[in-house]
Amino acid sequence: MSVDESIYKIFKKIGKHLVHHGYNTSHSGNISIRSGGKIIIKRRAAMLSDLEPEDLVVCDLKEEDSGSLLASTELGVHRAIYLETDAMAVIHAHNPYCVALSLVENEITCIDAEGFALYKKIPIIDVEIPAGAYYTSIEVPKMLKNYPFVIVRGHGIFAKGMTLEDALQYVTGAEQSARIRYLTLITGKSLLRDYSKEKDFSLW
Amino acid sequence: MKGMNNLLLEVNLNEKNFKDLRISDEILENFIGGRGLGVKIIAERLPTKIEPLAPENLLIFATGPFSGTTIPTNGRFSLVTKSPLTNGIFYSNSGGYFGVFMKKCGYDGIVIEGALTNPGYIVLDDTGTPKIKDASNIWTLNTEDTLKQLRLIEGQNIHVLMIGPAGENLVKISSIMNDSARAFGRGGVGAVMGSKKLKAIVVKRTNGKVKVHDNELLKKYVKVAQDKIKVVPITRSTLPKFGTSALVKVINILGMLPINNFQKGYDERTYQVSGEEINAKLTQEQEGCYACPIRCGRLTKAGNMRGKGPEYESVWALGPNLGIFDLITITQANYLCNMYGIDTISCGGSIACGMELQQKGYIKNDSLKFGKSTSLKNLVKMITYKEGIGSELSEGAALLAKKHNSNETAMHVKGLELPAYDPRGAIGHALGYATSNRGGCHLTGYLASLEIFAVPKKIDRFTIAGKPDLLALKQNQKAIEDSLVICTFAGWALGLDYYARFLKAITGIDYDVIQLTEIGERIYTLERIFNLNEGLNKSTDTLPSRFLSNPLKDGASKGHVVPLELMLDQYYNVRGWDSNGIPTKELLKKLKINYENA
Repeated sequence: MSVDESIYKIFKKIGKHLVHHGYNTSHSGNISIRSGGKIIIKRRAAMLSDLEPEDLVVCDLKEEDSGSLLASTELGVHRAIYLETDAMAVIHAHNPYCVALSLVENEITCIDAEGFALYKKIPIIDVEIPAGAYYTSIEVPKMLKNYPFVIVRGHGIFAKGMTLEDALQYVTGAEQSARIRYLTLITGKSLLRDYSKEKDFSLW
Repeated sequence: MKGMNNLLLEVNLNEKNFKDLRISDEILENFIGGRGLGVKIIAERLPTKIEPLAPENLLIFATGPFSGTTIPTNGRFSLVTKSPLTNGIFYSNSGGYFGVFMKKCGYDGIVIEGALTNPGYIVLDDTGTPKIKDASNIWTLNTEDTLKQLRLIEGQNIHVLMIGPAGENLVKISSIMNDSARAFGRGGVGAVMGSKKLKAIVVKRTNGKVKVHDNELLKKYVKVAQDKIKVVPITRSTLPKFGTSALVKVINILGMLPINNFQKGYDERTYQVSGEEINAKLTQEQEGCYACPIRCGRLTKAGNMRGKGPEYESVWALGPNLGIFDLITITQANYLCNMYGIDTISCGGSIACGMELQQKGYIKNDSLKFGKSTSLKNLVKMITYKEGIGSELSEGAALLAKKHNSNETAMHVKGLELPAYDPRGAIGHALGYATSNRGGCHLTGYLASLEIFAVPKKIDRFTIAGKPDLLALKQNQKAIEDSLVICTFAGWALGLDYYARFLKAITGIDYDVIQLTEIGERIYTLERIFNLNEGLNKSTDTLPSRFLSNPLKDGASKGHVVPLELMLDQYYNVRGWDSNGIPTKELLKKLKINYENA
């Protein structure tokens, strides 16, 4: 199955955005979409900021196939997310503020206006070994059944969407909310108004 | 299950008797309510190949666990039957107040079978003693007069489902009207009610409460949802200000507003019938359904007539699609459709087909000329009473075109006339038309939300990649919305992540988004099996030929056709259906569908 030119353009745009805005290092992170019963995923060790058409790998949605030879090492997590949730696109990134807060908090409640309007809270999970597909492929899909994203403590974020742009907004939006929360916390002052507590976002 | 009464009212019109039909928690947990519950019942009980207008056909109205709670836009409820227009399963959805008060009377829904010998109507209240009363004095009345008479007889505190003369006359494009101008539209459901000689169903307003597992939690979720509806522009201002007719200009600019029976996709005169023009010239007052903060309805005045609407689809169907841009005529024709109980989309689609037949010389009838607005209101009346050419039009576009050996002039899928989006302008939306279980319908999957409105994000409207996957997901999600039941417009602000939390608070059951999506898939698949058994199959998952081979010649969708074949195979694969569009045994096992005809 060849990859449509329009799909390649979207991958290239999203990959570039993730690296240039500091969500990933040059080769880290991975992105994929679900299409026609297949997964189209970034090639392993390809530069996310400068994807070529051959850096998009088509793999079977349901089971391991030879495409996994070239696919991102996190293919297993992506596949599990597609099989267990309603995701149509998945992004995994290493958002610095999300990762930093995940080391000191058990969930990130959103205190900024966009965050509380769109996300409410960003859940955080622990997995036995945070990097690599095996453990995350078990725990991450469970959370994505009810949330658009989840942070694996100390590792990074997994976000789903109906499109890659949709997932990107969750990645960038989560980072923005985490950044506001982080910056607010380091002032050492108490919040004059905490909408997240008024609305009990921890219940969300 | 909390949130439901676990009770339907079963009405046998042959015997003129009622009985309680208990619904188990297991059924509700797996089908939820509304459309899902109706589909489950009809799939199990209705033998295959039953003539839709025979007494054996079932007419099922059902609410869901959201109905009658504080959740925004929960006033809608569902209807399920077998359609005389498509000969397949049919689901429809209507707002207002009737559903909520039916549930407050203690019934989650009504299952009607058989037929009366003489016209009658049903009265429900919370005493547990429903009645069938004589309707001979209101039979033949239009819906406006029927409502007035029933309020005189039964009191002002009632809500009414009723048919007009079109349903009585078994017009295959008739609707069931809901109070003054809401409708269970499409599919000829009014004719099903007419075939049962059932003029109306009256429900009395009561103070019944819906049992909720955790009221405090629901209150918190509802507050967050209300805040969201207030900040999303479409639900905060566009729909309240313009209603659905806000779409007229937008769809025309995209070159996909069907003109003259889908022969063009753009017309400069469309500004004359836009949402802005309706607001400036016709709108008197806004109105909304039970528990709805959006309030997209319109009370309007056109010339010497008053009424409700027109909605976007009605403006288009009775206007630009017929080459008519006279807003007063369009609106008055819309009022007449409501009074006679006719579906506006199918009415316009059938007349448009007649006009193209006239244009191409298949029939000769001066009233059927594109742009001839002076004939429109009379055509609506002729359809209602099956007079002259109205008799042919009343059968719907597909049969009309077939009769004149010109199938290519009928813009329909599975017999249901297409709505107001030219499929050549958004190919995922087109796939939705082709595969919808109820035929040519825009609401079943509505991929236009991504392809046109960029919700949640924009996708290229002419690209295939990912469309079959997205469509299947959206069709499943819609099936669950129709089962909960919540208005599709709430979806502009909310979504299944909200609905799963609402349902958890109501029932105490730990539902998540994915479980709800799977229930939606179960419902959708069961509908598919029903249709396969009725002879609707891969050959009917198609579109009128002009969309597959004749590109639009002007406008922003110029040059495009629908690559249906390429998408259809992928769609079947994504759904877990075989290459003939038949759900596999593995899928049925996964979805726990134990349907003996599967």
